[in-house]
Amino acid sequence: MNLKTISECEDRKIQKYLNFRLPHQYKKIGWIGFVLSFVILISTKFFDGNYSVLVEILKRLLLVFLLLVVLSKEKVEDEMIKSIRSQAFTFAFIGAVAYTLLQPVINLIVALIVKPEKAIFKDLGDFQILWFMMIIYLVVFMKLKKRA
Amino acid sequence: MKNTLKVERAINNFTQEELAKKIGVSRQTINSIETNRYVPSTLLALKLSKLFNKPVNDFFTLEEED
Repeated sequence: MNLKTISECEDRKIQKYLNFRLPHQYKKIGWIGFVLSFVILISTKFFDGNYSVLVEILKRLLLVFLLLVVLSKEKVEDEMIKSIRSQAFTFAFIGAVAYTLLQPVINLIVALIVKPEKAIFKDLGDFQILWFMMIIYLVVFMKLKKRA
Repeated sequence: MKNTLKVERAINNFTQEELAKKIGVSRQTINSIETNRYVPSTLLALKLSKLFNKPVNDFFTLEEED
């Protein structure tokens, strides 16, 4: 195999990964799973008991179901949808970086005003960042799609 | 870039839905192109050209700011 053929193979492989999307029906599965996990997660707050393990599992499930929604195709996945998707991914990426950098500072400033004795600088957790990024992606994607 | 896709569609007596099916996109995409909210790729422009049997320049034209 010569160098050109190897490079073409690599390009094709990269394109295959870049264009990877789940079939449209995964969107419904994702939303149902997301709503169920969310409802159970919220309901643990209203019952006494130690649900820390369950909460951690539910948080991860929530992210997995959101990822299914994010990665699944639209009914007609054409070039305009791909373009909108790309804009939404860019926006969500920039938004997540800005959120990760600014939110801890805002939290600290608010804490300094409200309870200065307990004010500490604390970074955001991975769940919060990933959750924010995917929600921003979905909101922007839906808004752009509706406007198109 | 402006276009006369709506006129071409009317000449050929296609609905947005029919045209969308023929070139493999959604009706929303056809609507967005017609209202100048989306600029299609060369591939899509050539598919339209083939379908209307006209050169792309006949229904897509550059504007001064392009």
